[in-house]
Amino acid sequence: MNLPNYFLADLPPEAELSPVIVSAACDTLKRNREKFLQPRSTEEIIKLLCAVAEEWLQPENKFRRLALEFGPAETKFSQATLQCGLDGFFREFRPENFHALLKQDLGEAEFILSGAETRARRPDSGQAGRLSHFCRGPELLVHIAAGNLPNPTLMSLTLGLLTRSAQFVKCASGTSLLPRLFAHSIYELDHKIGTCLELAEWGGGNADLETALFAEANCVTVTGSDQTLAAVRARLPEKVRFIGYGQRVSFGYIAREVLREETIAETVLRAADDIVAWDQNGCLSPQVIYVEERGAVESDKFAELLAVELAKREITEPRGEITLEASAEIATRRELYETLAAHRGDVKLWRSPDSTAWTVVFEHDVRFRFSPLNRFIFVKPVPEAAVALHGLDEVHGKVSTAGLAATPDKMRELAAKFARWGVTRICPLGQMQNPPLTWRHDGRPALGDLVTWTDFEQ
Amino acid sequence: MNPQLSSFAARLRELIESHVFCNGNQPLHDQFDSLALELFALQFQNNPAYQKICLAKNRTPENVTHWTQIPFVPTSAFKELELASIPAAERTAVFHSSGTTEQKPSRHFHCAESLALYESSLWKFFHLHFGDEDDFLFLTPNAAAAPRSSLAQMFTTVAQKMTGQPAAFVGRIWNDGAWELNFSKAVEHLATAGRTKRPLMIFGTAFSFVHLLDFLAERNLKFNLPENSRVMETGGYKNRSRVLSKAELHALIRKHLGVKEITCEYGMSELSSQAYDTAFFIDEDEEEVKRFFQFPPWACAQIISPETGREVAEDETGIIRVFDLANVFSVAAIQTEDLGMKRGDNFALIGRAQLAEPRGCSLMST
Repeated sequence: MNLPNYFLADLPPEAELSPVIVSAACDTLKRNREKFLQPRSTEEIIKLLCAVAEEWLQPENKFRRLALEFGPAETKFSQATLQCGLDGFFREFRPENFHALLKQDLGEAEFILSGAETRARRPDSGQAGRLSHFCRGPELLVHIAAGNLPNPTLMSLTLGLLTRSAQFVKCASGTSLLPRLFAHSIYELDHKIGTCLELAEWGGGNADLETALFAEANCVTVTGSDQTLAAVRARLPEKVRFIGYGQRVSFGYIAREVLREETIAETVLRAADDIVAWDQNGCLSPQVIYVEERGAVESDKFAELLAVELAKREITEPRGEITLEASAEIATRRELYETLAAHRGDVKLWRSPDSTAWTVVFEHDVRFRFSPLNRFIFVKPVPEAAVALHGLDEVHGKVSTAGLAATPDKMRELAAKFARWGVTRICPLGQMQNPPLTWRHDGRPALGDLVTWTDFEQ
Repeated sequence: MNPQLSSFAARLRELIESHVFCNGNQPLHDQFDSLALELFALQFQNNPAYQKICLAKNRTPENVTHWTQIPFVPTSAFKELELASIPAAERTAVFHSSGTTEQKPSRHFHCAESLALYESSLWKFFHLHFGDEDDFLFLTPNAAAAPRSSLAQMFTTVAQKMTGQPAAFVGRIWNDGAWELNFSKAVEHLATAGRTKRPLMIFGTAFSFVHLLDFLAERNLKFNLPENSRVMETGGYKNRSRVLSKAELHALIRKHLGVKEITCEYGMSELSSQAYDTAFFIDEDEEEVKRFFQFPPWACAQIISPETGREVAEDETGIIRVFDLANVFSVAAIQTEDLGMKRGDNFALIGRAQLAEPRGCSLMST
């Protein structure tokens, strides 16, 4: 793969970074931002992002092809899994979606631009209209990326472009390929804006480099374990805004009304979509699927059908390679559940033969279980949603997404229950790993949290 | 107690006690397969929880023809099931898995006969490695203070059987159940060894050594123990101390205790036999030395691919399984959660299967 050296992460591995290099890169970013990014209107940025996404969706696009060719080796996702995940992501990049996001997070506010384009809106009629607003993004926005999935990092870069921030992405070692390709694709369409981005790769906790970086930053977003978040937060200078996205879990919930002969196939497909997406490795992937009892199709039958579907997916969309430790964890858990299945009629297990590619564990114990992931799913029957929520007690406050399969009326009823309990995102089953651009990450406005406001009282 | 199991246990005990270790030709190995199959048939008959597991895997004494086909039980099953053929009324001891975070420990039940076999097994192999004449210092509590620890039981057995000076236990139990060291007593023993010039054998868990070494480092204390003094360390850190790599730990042991020979032990509450590594004489630069563990002839380790469930090739890594004939009254075939690299019948300890813990977008955060 031969990409030009636009970013620090493009340099050969032997090139060593130093605090001086990081500081200089930040200076350059800020200057370029002032010159090239600040004057751009929101519409121009949206147009650029949509054009970039349009390119990525073309089969012959060179960045897409590089991602699919070299991605599997670096990310350990199969080509099919990568393709599906990236396509789902870029399909969201449409002007109307960006407008919806801006409206949702910023209302009618205008970004403060450096040129003459910034104008205070005339106040609208009515009381609220006595105010108008400006907002501005951080001058230098730093992202500490987790790197297990590419999409969150690509989304962070996207939001940062909307706020007209210079951006520095610190990727975990060995995980910069897809963010780099995305940044290169931006550079190719608009190289001036490309010069407002920087990407580098180093092992987390490198105090010298990170101190230099944090000293320049106005806002730092961190995605990772709770320990990583705490460690970064403790080292940020007072003036730097901290936005942390920590550990979250997600679950599926299937109402008995869709457990009918006519709808069961569709429901199983959707559940499999969510388990297969990114090999279940994200916060938004279900670890447990709760299934209501007394449907026309019983919950254990659903589990069995899900196993059949996962076996099929393994052929079309194989799970990626996993580490020996992860594989051993799956093997160990399977042994335990097989042992329990031998003793209790209420535990069943289906598994891929001769590999750890997929596993379905059916058990009546409603307590949420942390799955070893990599397509290892728990299916748990429940009489009603309240019982599932009780089972989720242990992870209360840590739940991101509930993927629901239900009739429209029941869906609203369940959504209200889950929202009251504290789930921050409720979506149809099958869409868990495809959040819209307007997704409020962990219940917070992802774009809105980046900006600072100026209120103009007229 | 089932008379057939008792008779098997008595016979095995005799085999172990009369066993003569020699290079290459190890007589018990010739009988290993037939003993294993015989024991499997007995455990299948007398251990109902185990029988169910075997039936679910469709493996019975009728269709199993080699010990490697005998169904293995994961150590985690000892948390969920009573894997014992000892009637509840005859259970005189239970060993729990250690660790502060476990809500449900493994439970390995024992009776007088199983403990007798445990003691024969541990002593025979221990004696081969450490003899019985030197001065022994244990950095653990004894069995009376820690009745549910198989390690405390092991060291207490050793202390009873040895012929030298009475052994010392300098571990104690704090209120929260954690093991701590009586530092002043430990230091006293180290100092005494320096005076008497008699070799000192120090035994403890990795975390107890860290506690001791940190104590010595804080006070800038260094001992140069008499020649032929040795250290045996075992187990992980279990959140009881900071975690060091083997090389770091051993370097500190050499620095503060002046001991050249360090042996590692591999054991667990679910087993009745222990493995020791065979790197008795190691270089200064230990990072270059792979330590290979070896079980006694009455136990056999296999390294299994987690993907396929089959034994891995030489020098490959997988999950460690142990078939321990001395586990007569529980289950002989145990699948651990540890990862090992196969080298002949021995293995190097590589790590543990990842334990499921809260994690979302955090897998690769460094």
